[in-house]
Amino acid sequence: MSLKNYVITRIVLAIPMIFILLALIFLVLRIIPGDPVLAILGGKAPKEVIEQKRHELGLDKPIIVQFFDYIGDLLKGDLGKSTLTGRPVWDEIKERFPATLELTLFSFVIAVLVGIFWGSFAAYKRDSGIDIGARMFSMVMYAVPVFWFGLMMQYIFGIVLRWLPVGGRISPTVNLKVITGVFLIDSLFTGNWKALKDILEHLILPGLTLGLVISSVFVRMVRNNTVLTLGQDFVKAARARGLKERVVLFRYALKNALVPIFTMMGLQFALLLGGAVLTETTFSWPGLGSYLVMKIRYRDFPAIQGTVVFFALIVVVISILVDVINALIDPRVRY
Amino acid sequence: MKRFVWLFLILAVTLSFAARDVIVVGTTDKIRTLDPANCYDYFSSNILQNVMVGLVDYEIGTSNLKPVLAKRWEVNETGTVYTFYLRKDAKFEDGTPIDAHVFKYSFDRVIRLNGDPAFLLSDIIEKTEVVDDYTFRVTLKYPFSAFVSVLGYTVAYPVNPKVYPVDSFYEGIPSASGPYRIKEWIRDVRIVLEENPNYFGEKPKTKRIVINFYESASTLRLALETGEVDVAYRHLDPRDIIDLEGREDIVVYKGNSPQIRYLVINVTQPPFDNANVRQALAYAVNRSVIVEDVFAGLAKPLYSMIPEGMWGHKSVFPERDLQKAKSLLKEVGYDENNPLVIDLWYTPTHYGTTEADVAQVLKEAFEETGVIKVNLKYAEWSTYVEYFLNGTMGLFLLGWYPDYLDPDDYVWPFLSESGAKSLGSFYANPEVEKLMIEARKLTDQEKRAEIYYKVQEILAQDVPYIPLWQGVATCAAKKQVKGILLEPTQIFRYYILYWEE
Repeated sequence: MSLKNYVITRIVLAIPMIFILLALIFLVLRIIPGDPVLAILGGKAPKEVIEQKRHELGLDKPIIVQFFDYIGDLLKGDLGKSTLTGRPVWDEIKERFPATLELTLFSFVIAVLVGIFWGSFAAYKRDSGIDIGARMFSMVMYAVPVFWFGLMMQYIFGIVLRWLPVGGRISPTVNLKVITGVFLIDSLFTGNWKALKDILEHLILPGLTLGLVISSVFVRMVRNNTVLTLGQDFVKAARARGLKERVVLFRYALKNALVPIFTMMGLQFALLLGGAVLTETTFSWPGLGSYLVMKIRYRDFPAIQGTVVFFALIVVVISILVDVINALIDPRVRY
Repeated sequence: MKRFVWLFLILAVTLSFAARDVIVVGTTDKIRTLDPANCYDYFSSNILQNVMVGLVDYEIGTSNLKPVLAKRWEVNETGTVYTFYLRKDAKFEDGTPIDAHVFKYSFDRVIRLNGDPAFLLSDIIEKTEVVDDYTFRVTLKYPFSAFVSVLGYTVAYPVNPKVYPVDSFYEGIPSASGPYRIKEWIRDVRIVLEENPNYFGEKPKTKRIVINFYESASTLRLALETGEVDVAYRHLDPRDIIDLEGREDIVVYKGNSPQIRYLVINVTQPPFDNANVRQALAYAVNRSVIVEDVFAGLAKPLYSMIPEGMWGHKSVFPERDLQKAKSLLKEVGYDENNPLVIDLWYTPTHYGTTEADVAQVLKEAFEETGVIKVNLKYAEWSTYVEYFLNGTMGLFLLGWYPDYLDPDDYVWPFLSESGAKSLGSFYANPEVEKLMIEARKLTDQEKRAEIYYKVQEILAQDVPYIPLWQGVATCAAKKQVKGILLEPTQIFRYYILYWEE
């Protein structure tokens, strides 16, 4: 199968997958107890108001009718309106997503850098202190709850050392013209260096927290794969040719060890988007993760469904991209 | 040289007293909507109370109403027609005059759109009229003495017809009529208020207020400690408040709150359909442990559904008496060998992080009688509301935050037949119903208070609710921030805050 056909097949297969996911979410939300109208109005509002609100939101219709109404709207590109705020869900996602994207990308860069450099170096210096340190680091960081780690970071760097801010995306008194919603880009576009510095300062603690936790997987994988590759014949041959150790490690061993790791990175990136939830809550980061938590609490059906579909689409797109890039890196991959 | 020293001293003193032009406030609350027709949550209302004005407002620091956009008003003999004479110098931030046409537009819009708080107006208003450009008339369906109090709430604030659409809710930035206007609003990140040049009243003491939103109480506390915010208002945990009280650079403010917390008893569900059981529970609760141990003294025990400090309040519920509780239960056949087994419900996040502790304290208090066994149960807020409306829960914790500051708002929603159903007690007593309707018609406060005393006494006998504690409003701020006033009305006025070194 050619790469083009493969991509088309993957996209076509993704549609029923997302449909099934949506149907499941739709059903689960309506089976579990909890009524969005009552969550908003409480017991204070008169019964007529509650009934009217339910009618307005279409929640008085049979579930199957609600489902097909929703799918119909979705096909027209309409994710519906939040029951909590009455605003279009898409508008709310658009407002929140740049914050999550910014945090995720920043954390991802940290995770990958730490993972590749420490992992490969640990493999190269096998059984040394660096290697033992890397293994300990992976084990501890994999086990540590991200919110606890975040709180410790806040305490040490925010309270004790007073180096960095402990929450939010930007200081209250710093002005920034929002264009894309990704504050780093916006500050660069507008040449607002004061804002850029402030945004980076806000990004460091949540970014490091999430990045270091995720890097534990990479450190271990890079180390193990590099150890395996270093023992293979082509590496021995390279050494025999008298190549420098740096060249052997990075150009021969690491490059080959990275192919399976690259797939893992793609999956981790997709998981990161969802995994940012606890970090966002700990650092008051106004992203899609904390948005989803709030909406679940209020049983805001359209918002929860919309966010889940949005996440699902991102995961599908990323996994397709990863496969394509994998195919380009390693021509042995056949579809 | 001496002259320079003097000059320097004068400059230093001047600078030290100069007001800072920005104060940063941090909160864990969220803004839902800034359209008065749909706004029914505390923090959204609080923003509107600083960027808009209504016919009436409360005098700063009290719960007494004063005219604002209305210069004065008249009520007809039957108490059903209110005529408001409006001031002529009030404008929205774009210069649009606030006249009787604007009021008619706004009131009719609230009723037509039927948003969350609309029932506060639509339940009582028959019609609205423009008598002339600056005279506005409202005819009520029936006499209702607390009507002017309702007008103090944001639902009755006039909106700019050029900005707020006639047939749908508005999700943008409001057109200001109050001391501040909104300069910038990034949802859930921050909102920036700045002086409104078209406001007829006194200028705010600080030109700009930046409100920063935090996800958790712990981050808010850290933001205050690290100096990222100057004022932390809603919601710090009680233990954090106590910790902060020990710091030299921070001042903790405490004020009365009209928020009450109570146990609801579903009077139709066995064994709670027995008055002896309900009275026994009322004797067994331990308010002081809740107040001291759970809230570290940041709450007050409450012995009536009408909060302390409000006219008409009478402490009617008994002090703790375990022997009395035991004997009441014995009369209906419960003792150590045949204990009363009940479920006590709570909701874990809606009322903050302390709720599970409150439930545990109540369980221990009930079980101390030796004749009650309690199973603790919990459900998330959206499920909880469904359960109490359906009558699933027999005994559960709930809270009340008033819509208008009048005893009526503490008895009618709980004890009127429709109200009791919607709050899960399903209580009905024709005598109480008659008394409350009578009180609504009267304008004489003393006579109304007499009626409310009677209503509270019946409440303590029938026990469909057990009042537990009254909230204490708190706020922590840097010591340089002045003008913080935690008012009985719970209006937090940003325009009186200022910075002083």
